[in-house]
Amino acid sequence: MEYGKDLADHAVDHAQSLGATYGEARYIYSEEESIAARNGVILSAGITPLKGLGIRVLVNGSMSFVSTAKLEKQHVEKLVKEAIKYAKASKRKKPIQFSEEKTVDVKWKTPVKIKFKEISLEDKQKFILDLDKELNQKFRLKLPTRTYLLHLYSENKYIVNSEGSRLESEHSLISFHSFNTAKGKVGSEQRMLTLGATGGWEWLMEKEIDKKIIEDNIALVNVARNAIEMKLDNVDVVISGEVSGIIAHENVGHPSEADRILGREGAQAGESFYKDLLKEGKLGEILMGNDCVSVIDDPTLPGSSGFYLYDDEGVKARPRYLIKEGKLNDLLFNREYAHEFNTHSNAAARSMNYKSEPLCRMANTFFEPGDFTKPELFEDIKKGVYLKSFTEWNIDDRRFQSKYVGLEAYLIENGTLTNTLIRRPILELTTFGILKSIDAISRNGEFSLGICGKGDPMQGIPVWLGGPHVRMRTIRLGGNK
Amino acid sequence: MMENSENLLELAIKLALRKGVEEIIALRREGNNYQIRFSNSAIDIIKEWNEDLLELFLVKEQKTTQLDIKAPTPKKIEKTLSTTVKYLSKLPRSNLYNGMETEQHSYPSIKDLFDKKILEFPEKALEYINSALNASNGNGIKNLAGVFYFGYFSTDLLTSHDVKSTHKSSYYQFTIRAFADERSSGQGIACGRNLDEIEKKILNAVNHAKDVARMAVGGTQGKAGMYDLIMSPTVAANVFGQLTNAAQPLLMMIGMSPIKIEDVGKKIASNSLTIWDNALLSEGLNSRPFDVEGTPSGKTTLIENGILKGILHNTSTAKQFGTKTTGSSTFYSLGIGSKFLAPAPSNIVFKEGDHAFDEIIRESRKPTIYVTSNWYTRFTNMLEGSFSTIPRDGMFLIENGRIIKPVEKLRISDNIHGMLNRIEAIGKKLIQIKWWEVPTPTFLPAIKIKDVNMSAATQ
Repeated sequence: MEYGKDLADHAVDHAQSLGATYGEARYIYSEEESIAARNGVILSAGITPLKGLGIRVLVNGSMSFVSTAKLEKQHVEKLVKEAIKYAKASKRKKPIQFSEEKTVDVKWKTPVKIKFKEISLEDKQKFILDLDKELNQKFRLKLPTRTYLLHLYSENKYIVNSEGSRLESEHSLISFHSFNTAKGKVGSEQRMLTLGATGGWEWLMEKEIDKKIIEDNIALVNVARNAIEMKLDNVDVVISGEVSGIIAHENVGHPSEADRILGREGAQAGESFYKDLLKEGKLGEILMGNDCVSVIDDPTLPGSSGFYLYDDEGVKARPRYLIKEGKLNDLLFNREYAHEFNTHSNAAARSMNYKSEPLCRMANTFFEPGDFTKPELFEDIKKGVYLKSFTEWNIDDRRFQSKYVGLEAYLIENGTLTNTLIRRPILELTTFGILKSIDAISRNGEFSLGICGKGDPMQGIPVWLGGPHVRMRTIRLGGNK
Repeated sequence: MMENSENLLELAIKLALRKGVEEIIALRREGNNYQIRFSNSAIDIIKEWNEDLLELFLVKEQKTTQLDIKAPTPKKIEKTLSTTVKYLSKLPRSNLYNGMETEQHSYPSIKDLFDKKILEFPEKALEYINSALNASNGNGIKNLAGVFYFGYFSTDLLTSHDVKSTHKSSYYQFTIRAFADERSSGQGIACGRNLDEIEKKILNAVNHAKDVARMAVGGTQGKAGMYDLIMSPTVAANVFGQLTNAAQPLLMMIGMSPIKIEDVGKKIASNSLTIWDNALLSEGLNSRPFDVEGTPSGKTTLIENGILKGILHNTSTAKQFGTKTTGSSTFYSLGIGSKFLAPAPSNIVFKEGDHAFDEIIRESRKPTIYVTSNWYTRFTNMLEGSFSTIPRDGMFLIENGRIIKPVEKLRISDNIHGMLNRIEAIGKKLIQIKWWEVPTPTFLPAIKIKDVNMSAATQ
């Protein structure tokens, strides 16, 4: 670590000596282990250690970025020189500027009780194979294809910039992914389940992840065998934390990214319908939904997949109220776009690895819990649908037209949640169609892992998806055919 | 100092054999990749990635593992192998691995895989992009956003069976999006290897994007329903790529493919559809003379006249299914975790049809939607093929043989099997598509599908 830190310091000094007005270097030393299995057989396993340096510079208002895993002083100096040359040659007319932020000198780390290295490879394999054995014994041919991936990632990071900030962090992320197919009376149902957290091996036991996966597969088999087509038009809909989480992420989180609003993702992840809203109104005034609707993005949630205490530009993390009591309240800023909006960064700059530039990203985005118990959400619904999990989903590149197809979905009748499973109900709704139909939110929530994609090259970063149960009134299901 | 590839690969093989590994693949890719990203008609960032990656695949007592060593040095190789071989010994025997290439071959020569002009290209690339951006605004266009990738690398292979080869290649990949206003945009793509006339190719892509953006102005909410659908090459590459990318045993085995091994020999598409995988095209962005095992690359028929003729194989999967390797072995990633030794496509090539694009429009008498680009394709069930995807950029309603008006906010919500069997027309002009939503280089024309469900938000 020390050599990498010295090299990062040198890269920044060298950039300044060559005329950079801002320089920043990130040295990352990581180790990734993964074990994949299918139907009781280990398919692949491997460990990949990785060390690398990413350097970003501003010269006369133009930005460039270089990266390498060849950690040699002369080589890094050559790359820095090239970075300066390219930035100068880009001839940008409107200079890129960063918001002013406090310099920091900090160390932080995610709490870990049991490091991945303390667990033998045999025990790691055993966790997967025992789980599969139980599922196979329980379901046999009803669950004919079962695929799992256990992913263990640890990272040491050092960030330094020319303003004097220095940050060191130790991070540890664990996740379990399964992709299973259940055979039904007609056809099949498929389920991608991803669970994850920051922490160590203890997460699997403390959160009883094996039980969660088994329960999820019981539901999958039940859906495949028993869900029925049902014509439902205008009904009330209650969505679980899994579904409210993906909605908070896709319909609220993504359009809140300030770089997207100002067009930087124009050719890739697209722009944002907030661009139109912000021409007409201001943050704090634009009505997005009912008073009960608040959406938070919070990187500081302990144990969350999107956990961090300082972002990749060295800004201290804090919760961000994207929507507060129904009104658009905040956006996701890195330093470049905070300056564009004449404000300060709220620590949304994240990058996937040393090879990637920091972009405006979410961490853990969710509806703020309300006052209702879960049964109270169903109480006055005459006919409705409870969407517990989802399968296919997508949204347009301005983040307004979304579609969520239910997987585990139950009929609600006369205030009671029934056992009747509805096959693949479709929510095909605009963002306003969703937010303005919400009238109640539960007290408690639950979370699962998501890998959020953005940027070019694509940067997949861990986030938590989830939150409380949410009730939506008078929804026309099925898509508008 | 032993930093040249031949020495490093020999060292890796020697060290692994000494540690008891029985078979080894060592593949090194070394070079530079560059990116110019721009939006609002200005350059946002220029990137240079200095790449030097040694990928190893190790086999011992039928146990396998794969690892990457970035910026390999003798010391790093020694240290990483020591850890990895111990790790390997604790794994169970693999039932995926059935052997690798053991014969030495001569390899096909692919014309123009490397254009030496690429070495002097970074500064010129900036000039080309600035020139395109300076001329961008006006004539109804407000701004341009896009990305320009280019780079070069050498690939060196050595296996424990003394299979070895090397090749050099270069590439460029340009995507542009023109905005006439916030909701009216068009996309253009240019990609290949040969830098001759690169300025002209970029300009053509820019002009195409601008034309589509201007045509898209004033788009109104499309009416959901059943339409004939014309997919631009960009859209068809994404939609049908869901099948061609999954025409390999690993994805079939885990339920992530809309086709099954039993489908080989069966009719799965309209008669007019013929698709190959071809690794030997001079401009193909995934062209290569050999795969990661050292098997010579070639051309494989996937679909012929609507019949699934075969899928992609490497040595292991070919042995498993009693057939021959198609020279398609790769270090394959599921997106997370260590890589598999598994087959994957090189360049996908569609056989041209007999319709000029204008003819396809003219012959569309009943309501037809023309989609120029799309993103976010997701499946409800990959085996069944039920999916949806979202049009972006210009989308147009055609009636009585002509484009009537731009429309917006519709979604293609259908089934890939059904769409493959309802192909009504295939265009004559093939272009290479590779961009954010099309990871596999695909040469194809516009394709028209009959009776496709287009859905829209209910509220």
